[in-house]
Amino acid sequence: VSHPLDLGLAAQAAAIAAGEVDPGEILDAALARIDERNPALNAIVATFPERSREMLDAAAPGPLRGVPVVIKDEWPLPWRAQRFGAAELTVSTAPGESAPYRALRDAGAVIVGVGNMHELGAGSTGNTSYYGAARNPWDTERCPGGSSSGSAASVAARLVAGAVGADGLGSVRFPAAYCGLTGLKPTFGRSAMEGHHMAPITTMIVSGPLCADAADCRLLGSVLFGEELTEGDPTGLRIGVVRDTVSEDVTPAVAEACEGAIETLRAETGGELREVALPDLEAATLAGILIINAESMSGTRPEQLNRLDPELSPIARGTLKYRMLLPAAATVKAASVRALMRQRLAALFADVDVIAWPTIPAPAPPLEAPLVELPSGTLAADQANVRGAALANLTGIPSISLPVGLSDGLPVALQLQAAWGNDELLLDAAEALERANGRRWVESRPPLAEAEPTEV
Amino acid sequence: LRHRILSFAALGRAPPEWVHDRSQVGLPAEMEGAASADQFVPAGLAALGIEADETDLAVMGAVHQLIWPPLLELLALDTEGVEVERRPDMSRAPE
Repeated sequence: VSHPLDLGLAAQAAAIAAGEVDPGEILDAALARIDERNPALNAIVATFPERSREMLDAAAPGPLRGVPVVIKDEWPLPWRAQRFGAAELTVSTAPGESAPYRALRDAGAVIVGVGNMHELGAGSTGNTSYYGAARNPWDTERCPGGSSSGSAASVAARLVAGAVGADGLGSVRFPAAYCGLTGLKPTFGRSAMEGHHMAPITTMIVSGPLCADAADCRLLGSVLFGEELTEGDPTGLRIGVVRDTVSEDVTPAVAEACEGAIETLRAETGGELREVALPDLEAATLAGILIINAESMSGTRPEQLNRLDPELSPIARGTLKYRMLLPAAATVKAASVRALMRQRLAALFADVDVIAWPTIPAPAPPLEAPLVELPSGTLAADQANVRGAALANLTGIPSISLPVGLSDGLPVALQLQAAWGNDELLLDAAEALERANGRRWVESRPPLAEAEPTEV
Repeated sequence: LRHRILSFAALGRAPPEWVHDRSQVGLPAEMEGAASADQFVPAGLAALGIEADETDLAVMGAVHQLIWPPLLELLALDTEGVEVERRPDMSRAPE
């Protein structure tokens, strides 16, 4: 018999609903496992057992009744303001009921902890945080991915089976990829965002689920979307393959795993591969960076930057100041690039159902030196990772990251992107791939999270 | 200007050693600093009244080196004829 925390999100919910497992015991087990495993990971930065028990006592009879989950340090809770992984934000925050919190509460879920994150959401590695770096359960000397670092690490380590992250330039997909999880970046506007300090102004950031597999992402995604993400049939899937830096400047192991997965998906769905052109991806990446920068700095006054909290990392301090210097003309140009890429994608999605390329060009780098060795040379992981992620945020389309292999014991991931509103198709395709490979990769788990027999 | 920006110098002490370790800002060790940052960054900061010390400047130099060349390429991109959406609905395809 499996330990209940080693079950997936849907299986935990089903076991509770069937009366096979006491939700109070699952909550106790989750808190105990956090005590046991989190010191090596720093994935969870706050627990609040009394609040969690209150949530359980009041749990609605929803699809996640009694199931423990984690939420990223990016939204307020009624008893805690978000810190955004930083000593200081340049906007004020306060405890409150955010939309993701309400969605989880109304589904009957029990929030057991707040997930660590890359400081200010400004990194793909998770190696910098007010709380200290989160660590990758597959190798605790390596980056867990960011910015939703703790959300991913907590699921990969089976502290919980589902966590809420946020994705403004890949921040759900990178940690999903580094930690061997499935992570969905929804179509812009479909998932709960209210309460996030950027919600009123962002055109880039979305909340999204991080879980072991696509079925659990469908369940947690349905909660965050406030609507059921129904299953469909991906038969005849037309898969667009782009021959560009995003698919070619990757390690040989990443290329091999992703190409194999794409072919497996094609065969499983009886579909076809179509080589497609998507020019100006580098410009699209920079356009995404410029737009999210303009949105995030729009309320910042120069004098605020002269009295930053000394505990803010030197990198954040310097970067925040530099961001004030980026020319407005470039941001206006970025809007043109955004329009161009949206038009190109709209045309492209008439010919293909999904676009596929690696989520990350190389597996998780060391925490102490987050560099990756690629065919083009040595790059900062942030610089290399964002190239494959920014398009979805820039244009609003949904995207999903799926585990498709291991390279030297570290997860490798494939990214699928679809047209606006086709989040369900991405989940259908992900499930098709899981079926085809015998769920080999979604059921792989790091050594520290090997399944244990139940005592609950 | 120099006093406001270079507070380490003003304090009569050197910046910490790690400032010169480029791996701390995620840059390969062999990459060189961008000369244009030395002029552009202090002038821009001064114009906005933003103070910076040598640590800040080292970080900004590294970031500038990463972002400025592609930014110039972006500005040079010919987007004439691209119809910019006035109020784009990012949840949908463009009309």
